[in-house]
Amino acid sequence: MSDAIGHAGPVGSGSGAEAPERAARVTPNSPVAGAARVQPFRMIAGGQIERRPLSFGFDGKQYQGFAGDTLASALLANGVRLVGRSFKYHRPRGILSAGPEEPNALVELRDGARREPNTRATVAELYDGLVARSQNRWPSLRFDLMAVNSLAAPILGAGFYYKTFMWPAAFWEKVYEPMIRRAAGLGRAAGAPDPDLYEKATAFCDVLVVGGGPAGLAAALAAGRSGARVILATEDFVLGGRLVSEQREIGGQSGPAFAASVEAELASLPEVRILRRAGVFGVYDGGTYAALERVNDHVALPPPHEPRQRLWRIVAKRCVLAAGAIERPVVFADNDRPGVMLAGAVRTYLNRFAVRPGSRAVLFGNNDDALRTARDLQDSGVTVAAVVDPRPDALSSLDMLSRETGTRLVEGVVERALGSRAVQGAEIRDARGEAITVPCDLIAVSGGWQPTVHLTSHLGGRPEWASALASFVPGTLPPGMAVVGAARGDFALASCLADGIRAGSDAAAAAGFHPRSVTIPSADAESTAVTPLWRVKAAKGKAFVDFQNDVSASDVEIAHREGFVAVEHLKRYTTLGMATDQGKTANVNGLALMAELTGRSVPATGTTRFRPPFTPVAFAAFAGPHRGKNYRPTRLTAAHGWAVEHNAVFMEAGLWLRAQYFPHTGDKGWRDACDREVLAVRERVGLCDVSTLGKIEVVGTDAGTFLDRLYTNTMSSLPVGRVRYGIMLREDGFVMDDGTAARLEPQRYLVTTTTANAVAVMSHMEFAAQVLWPDLDVALASVTDQWAQFAVAGPRSRDVLAAVLRSDADLANEGFPFMGAMATALRDGTPARLFRISFSGELAYEIAVAANYGDGLARTLMAAGAAHGIMPYGLEALNVLRIEKGHAATGELNGQTTAGDLGLGRMVSTKKDFVGAAMTQRPALVDPDRWALVGFRPVNPQDPIGAGAHLLRPGAENKSRNDEGHVTSTCFSPTLGSTIALGLLRRGPQRLGERVRAYDPVRGRDTLVEVCAPVFVDPEGVRLRG
Amino acid sequence: MADLALPDMSPWAGLWRRGRFGHALGEPGLDIAESERGSMALMSARRGRTPDLARAAQDLGLTLPGPRAWTQDRGFVVLSTAPDQWLVRGPGSFSELAAGLEPLAPFAAVIDQSHARAVLTLSGPRLRDALAKGFEIDLHPRTFRPGDVAVTVVAGVSAILWQIDERPTFEVAVPRSMAGSFWHWLSESAAEYGYRVSTHDA
Repeated sequence: MSDAIGHAGPVGSGSGAEAPERAARVTPNSPVAGAARVQPFRMIAGGQIERRPLSFGFDGKQYQGFAGDTLASALLANGVRLVGRSFKYHRPRGILSAGPEEPNALVELRDGARREPNTRATVAELYDGLVARSQNRWPSLRFDLMAVNSLAAPILGAGFYYKTFMWPAAFWEKVYEPMIRRAAGLGRAAGAPDPDLYEKATAFCDVLVVGGGPAGLAAALAAGRSGARVILATEDFVLGGRLVSEQREIGGQSGPAFAASVEAELASLPEVRILRRAGVFGVYDGGTYAALERVNDHVALPPPHEPRQRLWRIVAKRCVLAAGAIERPVVFADNDRPGVMLAGAVRTYLNRFAVRPGSRAVLFGNNDDALRTARDLQDSGVTVAAVVDPRPDALSSLDMLSRETGTRLVEGVVERALGSRAVQGAEIRDARGEAITVPCDLIAVSGGWQPTVHLTSHLGGRPEWASALASFVPGTLPPGMAVVGAARGDFALASCLADGIRAGSDAAAAAGFHPRSVTIPSADAESTAVTPLWRVKAAKGKAFVDFQNDVSASDVEIAHREGFVAVEHLKRYTTLGMATDQGKTANVNGLALMAELTGRSVPATGTTRFRPPFTPVAFAAFAGPHRGKNYRPTRLTAAHGWAVEHNAVFMEAGLWLRAQYFPHTGDKGWRDACDREVLAVRERVGLCDVSTLGKIEVVGTDAGTFLDRLYTNTMSSLPVGRVRYGIMLREDGFVMDDGTAARLEPQRYLVTTTTANAVAVMSHMEFAAQVLWPDLDVALASVTDQWAQFAVAGPRSRDVLAAVLRSDADLANEGFPFMGAMATALRDGTPARLFRISFSGELAYEIAVAANYGDGLARTLMAAGAAHGIMPYGLEALNVLRIEKGHAATGELNGQTTAGDLGLGRMVSTKKDFVGAAMTQRPALVDPDRWALVGFRPVNPQDPIGAGAHLLRPGAENKSRNDEGHVTSTCFSPTLGSTIALGLLRRGPQRLGERVRAYDPVRGRDTLVEVCAPVFVDPEGVRLRG
Repeated sequence: MADLALPDMSPWAGLWRRGRFGHALGEPGLDIAESERGSMALMSARRGRTPDLARAAQDLGLTLPGPRAWTQDRGFVVLSTAPDQWLVRGPGSFSELAAGLEPLAPFAAVIDQSHARAVLTLSGPRLRDALAKGFEIDLHPRTFRPGDVAVTVVAGVSAILWQIDERPTFEVAVPRSMAGSFWHWLSESAAEYGYRVSTHDA
């Protein structure tokens, strides 16, 4: 194409001087008329786009746009102005804005699992192959059956839900809610897992500049030149902000050329980082900011290994907020018709995208900034049919325009937009009260600019009303933040630049750098005068305040009439300011309308404060890489691979994966494996990986004293080479955890915890050592990961160990009795720790080696045990073995049981103090009526008992007042051939032999059981001492 | 069991292969290797004995680093990990390390951690960019330098990170049981830049 003239041309190519020539080229006889037909509203030259054609689809139809387009600009280039249907009334809607504030042009982007609802077409960057669909219409966008809602509009007003769906109450859940849910909402979620990668990253800087417009560029440059670490973050994919949307000159350069030259210098500074497509959406404590970088939203598929989006946590010493301003619409009848567009957006489409948003325009504004739209429209070959401004004498600056082109200059207001699926004209009323109808297809409207103050109020700051500007300006700022340019209500280009340089320099200085002086470039002056005009009343038509939520001026009136005048009531009663756009174009108008109705000022009516996020952020971005099994880390034991090879089924135990059981071919279910493993331990020998149990080394001259104060029983009296079972209480006297303490050396203990409580016990002990008793000489370290540990349990366990330990290791009962501990070594010299402890009640040992040898040890023990019929066993078998022995575990250590409840009262020393000691004497904790641990066997041995079942007396009514306890653990005991259970029963130990009911309404069971002692197998403990 | 010889299995075994992965063009952004295994001990000063410990260490030719720093003397690497607490790394077995530290025993508790942590050596031009995807600390050369240590968390995994040189080269130690989760995070974070795994037994 030869039409790139002026696009990347010399300085000043985008300025107004050349524009009439550009307009003149738009003729059917142009040499590039073919391109003009493809994109009939695209100008032949100009704009900050690359004229590389990209094809895209909208509602099934194929179109062409250019690189550098947004979906909105590309649709407008193709003359597509109807892009969606509104939320409640299904009114036809077009494109209102050219930025993140867009309330109307929400589309579904992409297909299949990547389908993304409610995407603002105004910020969706065009790419080749983009597919988008309009929302909230059926069967088609042009003909939408739900538009009948419009006819019902009189009853669908504010508070409609509350009034209509009140009675009968029985209808709330069954009828009304499903009905409302079907009718409400925009877009459809993909409903399939997101196939793309999302990342989180942290960045640190001296100065964070939010916004890439003139003020932001100036601030970044001033800060960057000082050598400070600067991050310039902009939501847009190009830098320049309004500079690329306006026909302005800075220091003799066009706006875009100026932006490009600043960008080039920033890129050359090593400590400046430019984050494009990265909107800062939240401000948090400690100078922390959140930004969403849409790394690959502008391509069909992210390149391999690249994320789609990256969530940035930016920690900044100083922040310069240069977020610009958002233009306000004026509330007039049918102001939501496709073709009613913000004046600033019109200029963006003309100047940045070289797109004419219409052919014949009416301009309606109350400020001098808006009037400049008339010139830009003219320059682009759009007929300006009328310029309407309510301010007396405001139009004198446009006299020349009207003389040249016949444009009507009207002191007055636009009362109503005509047309339905597109604007067909404007009904105007002039200052003398005369009605004028002007045919047009575009109404450019401006009610003035509202500074984008959102981020200033994220930490609670309340924006302040500035009457001269008729807008809110930042109030109290977050610590370390300065606001510049339009974001603080200073709309003139020259002051944006000066302000930015000053703030950038100040921020760098505050961060400890020495800013160099930066010359402020000259900019052409402009007037930004504005006179408030919120609403134009008309006899007919619906005048919208909040486009996205279909809140009209009459809804605000209803709210006023019914007493919902406080700003928060107004919001909730009418839904004004809710949903994805959070009322960016609506809040101030809504407040102003309420102010008019109540006869108060805007600030007396209320102020809107804002919370993060500034614009919608996908959940996927917040989740980042932590999805599915990567939601949190997984801990694997050293012998995990060995268990995998033995076909283990794993289950989660905290962060750990533990073998649950080891199925064999032909098993009918997990019970077959579990029963087999239990019997192997009871009859021969089993091997279980117990590396996940918490292991803590306690070292120091006061180690014994320290443990005495933590455990209920005494550990300082434990001889070296011995192990003792112990329980720890919480401060409130309830049991926290149980485990063992082994004295390895006079000043070195090894304590174990349950897998579940390992981290909590370590924290508890650290707290005790650092805070409670800082005078004790004791050092702690978790050694859980250091040692791979295995239980070798069963009558043949001694034979297995004898085969792997070095020959001088004495395993005989006399030399190494029950509860012994020793440091020894394997036959190859690998150091090992051996403990004679038993959870299963059998002759059993636990052997530990340094973790790198864990996998080898498991295989070695299996090989050594083959002759003895060794079998690996998992958590299910472990659980059965310990229930058969009445050992307390998770179900019993539930945070509500005392040592006495668990039958461990004799372990609570009365001769010393320890954590929780005082509280164990509370009356409720020594109440003889407490529920205490007992065992249960069903009268019919095969009857199942469910954990959690309530314990009731036979004949008692199934009421909670009759509840006498509950079942805590249950299993089928292959050793006894019967279901067995543990539970907590009122005065349980005194009721052995009594029959009670295990009433289980969840599983629909009611089982008669007999109360028995909690130790079902070998109650004398003969086996474990064997 | 006469021929018993347990293999010393790396925590990273089975997680990776030697080679080039991720983004395939140009120089890899990261080089990743398992650090020399050696031995590691947590050394805690006995209550109130830090000055004595420092003096005794000095006599051994060791400088105990101050907060957030590490030193290397006579083959020992000493990392400060908490107040009055250091992680000491040595080239040989733990018993050799413990023997070397024996003169410090009156003033310090020493606990074996040789197999408790899995340690990687990381370097490359895009290393800091990859680390920024999980480490929420400032690793910019102005604030984090060779000789610095950080005890922190990455992707839910507790980690000790220390800088070796300005290439930059870092080492990172994570709990052995979480090596797989850490590797998943690191390899995903590095893939965008391309990474090379070059390690002894991979």
